[in-house]
Amino acid sequence: MFEKYVLSPILDSLSHLPDANSFFINNEFYSYSVFAEFISKIRSEIQKSALSGRNLGLIANDDIETYASIIAIWLEGYAYVPIHPHHPVERGMEIIKQANIDLILDSSDIPVFNSSLIIKSKSLSFTVLNLVPNQLNDDEIAYILFTSGSTGKPKGVPITRGNLGAFMKAFWEVGFQLDENDRCLQCFDLTFDVSVQSFLVPLSKGACTYTIPHDQIKYSYASELLEDQKLTFSVMAPSMVRFFKPYFEEIDLPDLRYNILTAEASTLDLIEEWSRCIPNADIYDFYGPTEATIYCTYYKFNRNSSNKHLNGMLSIGKPLDGISAIISDENGNILKVNQKGELCISGNQITPGYWNNSEKNKTSFFLKDIDGVSSRFYKTGDLCYFDEEGDILYSGRLDFQVKIQGYRIELGEIEHHAREYIKGQNVVAVAYENISGNNEIALFIEGEPFDTSTLIVQFKSKLPYYMLPSKILFIDEFPLNTNSKTDRNLLKKSIS
Amino acid sequence: MEKTDVVTRLTIVFKNVFDNEALVLKDDLTANDVDNWDSLTHMILISDIEKEFEVKFKLKELNKMRNVGDMVDLLLQKK
Repeated sequence: MFEKYVLSPILDSLSHLPDANSFFINNEFYSYSVFAEFISKIRSEIQKSALSGRNLGLIANDDIETYASIIAIWLEGYAYVPIHPHHPVERGMEIIKQANIDLILDSSDIPVFNSSLIIKSKSLSFTVLNLVPNQLNDDEIAYILFTSGSTGKPKGVPITRGNLGAFMKAFWEVGFQLDENDRCLQCFDLTFDVSVQSFLVPLSKGACTYTIPHDQIKYSYASELLEDQKLTFSVMAPSMVRFFKPYFEEIDLPDLRYNILTAEASTLDLIEEWSRCIPNADIYDFYGPTEATIYCTYYKFNRNSSNKHLNGMLSIGKPLDGISAIISDENGNILKVNQKGELCISGNQITPGYWNNSEKNKTSFFLKDIDGVSSRFYKTGDLCYFDEEGDILYSGRLDFQVKIQGYRIELGEIEHHAREYIKGQNVVAVAYENISGNNEIALFIEGEPFDTSTLIVQFKSKLPYYMLPSKILFIDEFPLNTNSKTDRNLLKKSIS
Repeated sequence: MEKTDVVTRLTIVFKNVFDNEALVLKDDLTANDVDNWDSLTHMILISDIEKEFEVKFKLKELNKMRNVGDMVDLLLQKK
């Protein structure tokens, strides 16, 4: 699967379209032949290293070396584990420890970590093309992404080569037609799995990937790229569209052919308005947890007729080819049409399980016989139902996971770090909508107010920027709901 | 309006949005130099500046803005 649907298409682009642009990064174009040289020199350097494990750390910078490193790692048969240079070093160290990383590829001028074996990918010189892939089993891991964990530690989601191959196969079966003339937006951090789709799709077709430098205001730079570079394919989180909203009247992007919205629930009224800014684009709402490899269901937005929605949230549609979805109750029984329950997913895109976390694996995955065949399902934690036509409607989360700018966050992780600092006082983190309609985090602390500046410093050393509470509020005593639990809804309502 | 007036009023908005009383505005100041200046706070910042100066920015103008100096120039043009 990986060879056929991931590596071969990239290698075809590298060899058949040497003069076409592969990347546009920070106002500079890189042709496929130049990209091939970057991949080769990094791979040759990896081959010189004596490695004990298969997981390589990758500092997730925005440059050609970082993208070339991913392909070099895959050709050699290893897995990449992205570590964001702007996230707290302590978090990075935790990931390095958990994934047993002994080699880190880093394109920074000054390496972010100095404790491990490092390949400084900016200081290598090219000698010879080195693009013949090592033959590997589809069960080997292609990447491991670490997501927020409610216990206070990030948890690793390994995605196998077979998982990613199955995803790419299913993605193309949706019907996207791209070629070397397409220009595609890549606006996601490499620590987030939609980034993989955002660069793999153009690389597979010889198209050009346009990235966002880390020092730019993301939505502003993205809108500039979309317009000035006449991008034809873009994937974005609805929160980015919400940033554009005050300017819809002046946005006109007739060149955009495809627009995928993902990573958060899409609200119908926003997408209807946005569709007028992108008059020639097919618009899709894609849904999927990292555990099921990027996307597992999708819904195509209808421009000229009504769209399915629940409470204003666009339907997440039907499963991709090769994915099977069921709605299950608390006892694992499959529910009928129109009955709400937990969405559970099976198929070749499902991760083999969390990295070194057998406890979590026992509760998140289960085997179920369907029509006499035993399948392994992943419990998404999303509350959904099927309508009569087999489309899935999304209703909300079953747990305390929230999305901030598309990033998935366990409120428990924020609460864990707050409790560790405060000791003894009750804390609750909630997500609330700000003036633009995007989510932010507020932290409530029970008891007497105190100076929170050192608490904020503590947060910044432990949590990535998107997880930092934008408000810290004190309350004498937390309100309780009828089950004698802290009433989070009431707390949320108290935010002005 | 004089440039110094613009900078003074802009400084108040910045201090408020980034919750930093010590913040000093310079022409070459960018989002990288200020703690918490990200996509989210940028949006709040722009909306507060629009209110303070009673102007409305176009997306194109915002995109071309590379530092505080550009922002001051833009405000001087608009007033």
